[in-house]
Amino acid sequence: MKFRNQKPVEKIEPQMAPMIDVVFLLLIFFMCTLKIISQEGDFNINMPAVAQAQTETPKLLPDFKVRLLADVASGQLIEVRFGQRSLGTGPRAFQLLQQTIKEQIAGSPYADEIEIEIDADFDLNYEHVISAVSACTGEVSGATTEGGRKKISRFVEKIKFAPPRQSQRAAVGG
Amino acid sequence: MRIKKTEPNHAEIDMTPMIDIVFQLIAFFMVISNFEQTQADERVRLPSDVLAQPPTVKPAHELVLNVGFVRDPEHGIPKQGPVVFHNSQFCRITDTDSPAEVLIYNRSAEQNQTIQTVPFAYRLEQEKRLFFDRGVNPAEEVTVIIRADTHVPTGLVQKLIQMSQEAFTGSDGSSQDGFAKFALKAEQTTDTQ
Repeated sequence: MKFRNQKPVEKIEPQMAPMIDVVFLLLIFFMCTLKIISQEGDFNINMPAVAQAQTETPKLLPDFKVRLLADVASGQLIEVRFGQRSLGTGPRAFQLLQQTIKEQIAGSPYADEIEIEIDADFDLNYEHVISAVSACTGEVSGATTEGGRKKISRFVEKIKFAPPRQSQRAAVGG
Repeated sequence: MRIKKTEPNHAEIDMTPMIDIVFQLIAFFMVISNFEQTQADERVRLPSDVLAQPPTVKPAHELVLNVGFVRDPEHGIPKQGPVVFHNSQFCRITDTDSPAEVLIYNRSAEQNQTIQTVPFAYRLEQEKRLFFDRGVNPAEEVTVIIRADTHVPTGLVQKLIQMSQEAFTGSDGSSQDGFAKFALKAEQTTDTQ
């Protein structure tokens, strides 16, 4: 059979406009929901319960003691002490703390054994504790790794907290 | 003169490259926006530090504790002190079992209101038991991640650690050790002081 008046093949043109509408909407949605969050890192602390700690073998070296004194009302840092030595306050004190610990550890064959005990006032703001832990554990060396990040060298792995002190704030009435 | 009639010229834009790029952008943003359920709490303003690096190995089991303040826009840090945000409840860091009232700022109602808090020691014990019942040893396999606000008094964080360490009675009646591994979270900064 012969078909007459056969129509030429029709070009199908898909409707682009609605698809592009939806696609743009999706794009805007994902752009808006994008949240730029700064990375979070952590400091590991190993604190077994008291009963366990007592059965440990006696240590070769005494712990390093870092004392943090706080202003009762505001919780701001007043003084950093390493053992009996006062290191002042502010970021400079933490730098000094870092140097002192590095000096103490340098060349010691028991560097892995060293434990640092942080003894902070009850009312001290938590951020200073993080600074202290950071100063005790390691430092950022000048060299950068391949990823462009600053290289971090750690010298102390073991950090622990002294038993909490009593809050002075209630006594003062703040 | 005869003018040849031409059909009106429809300018047809080639959509294909544009759609290609738009789809690529969508794919990019989909990948970037992490829908991973992080247990980060926006009410906690973490302290920042240079050495805080994201852990290379994720702990197998973790318990995230958010300690922060219910801040209100006018007064900043509230007087009654920090609370632990736990399962959409406010918990105080105390050992006692008595419920207490805390004045918080209600954002939607724009006024202060009193809410009941739950003592946290009890909740921690529940968490320990939950881990134990799932066959996880809290003392050895669980890392407690503490996300504390910059202004939380250190003593309270220490108390929280103490409470986490406390032994508990498992479902089989045996006495078990509490958590022993802790990680303090801080925000990573790139600038060196």
